[in-house]
Amino acid sequence: MSVRAVVLSVAALLVAGAVGVGATLLVRGAGPGAEQVPDPASAARTAFPGLTAPTGDPELPGLATARPRPGTVAVVEGPFDDRLDLSGLRLAGNGVTGTVTVTSDVSELIELQVLAGFYDADGKLLGTGRFTHHAGEEDHGHTGPPSEEESFEVAVPDDLGGTVAAAAVGVPVLVNE
Amino acid sequence: MRTSTRRGASRRVMAAAAVALAVVAGSVVTTATAIAQPDHSRAKNVIYLVGDGMGRTHVDAARQRYYGAAGKLVMETLPTVGQVTTYAVQKTSGQPGEADFVPEYVTDSASSATAWSSGVKTYNAALGVDAKGEVVPTLMELAKKAGYRTGNVSTAEITDATPAGQMSHALARGCQGPTYSAAACQDLAVTGEALPTDDVRVTPIADQIARNGTADVVLGGGLARFDAADEEALAAQGYEVLGSPADQAVATRDDLDDADGRKVFGLFNRGNLTIEKFKRENPNAVQAAEPSVAEMTSKAIDLLRNNKKGFYLQVEGALIDKRSHANDAAQTLEEMKAFDEAVRVALNFAKKDGNTTVIVTADHECAGFNIIGKGSYTNAEAVTPPGNVDAGNTANNSAPSRAASGALDGTRSTGPVNGSGSGNSGNFAPATFATPDDPEGVEDGSPEASLWLTYLSGNHTGAAVPVFAYGPGTRDLADTVDNTDLFDVVGHALRVVR
Ligand SMILES: [Zn+2]
Repeated sequence: MSVRAVVLSVAALLVAGAVGVGATLLVRGAGPGAEQVPDPASAARTAFPGLTAPTGDPELPGLATARPRPGTVAVVEGPFDDRLDLSGLRLAGNGVTGTVTVTSDVSELIELQVLAGFYDADGKLLGTGRFTHHAGEEDHGHTGPPSEEESFEVAVPDDLGGTVAAAAVGVPVLVNE
Repeated sequence: MRTSTRRGASRRVMAAAAVALAVVAGSVVTTATAIAQPDHSRAKNVIYLVGDGMGRTHVDAARQRYYGAAGKLVMETLPTVGQVTTYAVQKTSGQPGEADFVPEYVTDSASSATAWSSGVKTYNAALGVDAKGEVVPTLMELAKKAGYRTGNVSTAEITDATPAGQMSHALARGCQGPTYSAAACQDLAVTGEALPTDDVRVTPIADQIARNGTADVVLGGGLARFDAADEEALAAQGYEVLGSPADQAVATRDDLDDADGRKVFGLFNRGNLTIEKFKRENPNAVQAAEPSVAEMTSKAIDLLRNNKKGFYLQVEGALIDKRSHANDAAQTLEEMKAFDEAVRVALNFAKKDGNTTVIVTADHECAGFNIIGKGSYTNAEAVTPPGNVDAGNTANNSAPSRAASGALDGTRSTGPVNGSGSGNSGNFAPATFATPDDPEGVEDGSPEASLWLTYLSGNHTGAAVPVFAYGPGTRDLADTVDNTDLFDVVGHALRVVR
């Protein structure tokens, strides 16, 4: 049991054991304007009625309306486009590659997600894939000074093999320290 | 470090024991005595100011830069001075003294914010949860519940770790919004399996802030984290929303001046606020319409002060840390000065009010910032300086930018260094600055300037940080304390913890 838990338990015992009048007087005497301290167990706000729980990773509405020409990689709008540049976008046989350069803040890159949509020759969206940078992941550590550039590769989902003619990418998640 | 935590705990246990004895005695005489004696340990208001990344040497360098060696920053005039240990713990660690306690010597802003906000050690990246992932209430939540008015001011995105530590509960600080993503929000190393997405601990921090009403006054940056649904939720709780999250229209200083709501939400940049140096040099730029941290502090106090019970206000000078990451001494110093001006606002109010506590501290040191003797510079890391170019918001660029370095400066260095001063784009360190102690005509960036500054790294260090305090309930801070002890000090001053 933690120290804090012990203290809370003592407090709970006190509340349970206290004679009503005595306890009230005592608390009043504890200082100017002193009242019962709030119950820590119910102080944290942990429920938000009206907030719809997400059902999966973020989507970018632009992927549904982008109609990239065959052989090209389009860029769709995301919430942080004023903080990054996308460059070197290339659709190779098995995926789309490129580089995200974070142009605002140079401290540690905490979160980055690149969402890619894959399209057929008529510009129809066939499916999506993601690249995720998550600080602290063992296989993804950067050493040395904070980096502003992150290369990414999003593979074409297995079931779309051969039919992909174009791609579009956007960035729905970006957090720097 | 552990001694002081134990002492904080024993303080709580002793207080509880004293209450127990009194209850057993049940004596009216005892109670009457207590009423007759004013309690000097309790404050009506607490203003808690955090210089993010502000180590002892940040304070020293800013003093020398702006007031000279014999001068004082405003924060240094506060009568109670101590130091704060800042270490974090690893994921799933127990608390100090428990068998499964595993420390992590260098903290981040999230773990540190949770330490003073909730009184527990936690892992780097955690907010409002302990190292095992359990939700722990924050001082701001407790204060709100006890009837205080509450405010949270920052020059960072308001969803960033320091402000978020008081008004959110998240497994991962990167879960900021506007949208949920599993990689950013879940942490299986802590919870074992993924939490349902309606669990607060994986709810984007912006969604929490817009709905939990924990802070009555929210001022800072980070508008891009919020959306139309957030604006609706804020309005439904009675917030006066400056600018518009729905339209991504930032608020301005004029909007802030005009604000008079009981609850006010104002974000002045889509990302972090802009550094003071740029605003000073470019008074007509759009960024110059962002209020300073002192202006936000002053307005927050005005908005919160009309309350019988009192208020609890947290203020963060965030860019001290961000520009220290960039090893940018000129901007770091100016952000220190801007933060110190916010301290001045708080202290002036406290002195007039007579029952307000002001605490000034930091969450950790950043970058091993230090003051070196002329010509004594040796730094093997200088050949790979941290990047410090901000192409997206060029207002934040170093001047000059230092994209590369490595040139040896024989007149100032005993090791591999760069150019010939802070005015040389090949330079990384040392950066030199003139001070009030220098003869007239000595220029920043010259070898003659008396203040020589350097860096050890581009990231946080494990050094203890200073704490300066004024007002009721701060006597225990004249000591080496742990960052979790700050929870007890503020909690007792506001009488929201036993
Ligand atoms: Zn930092």
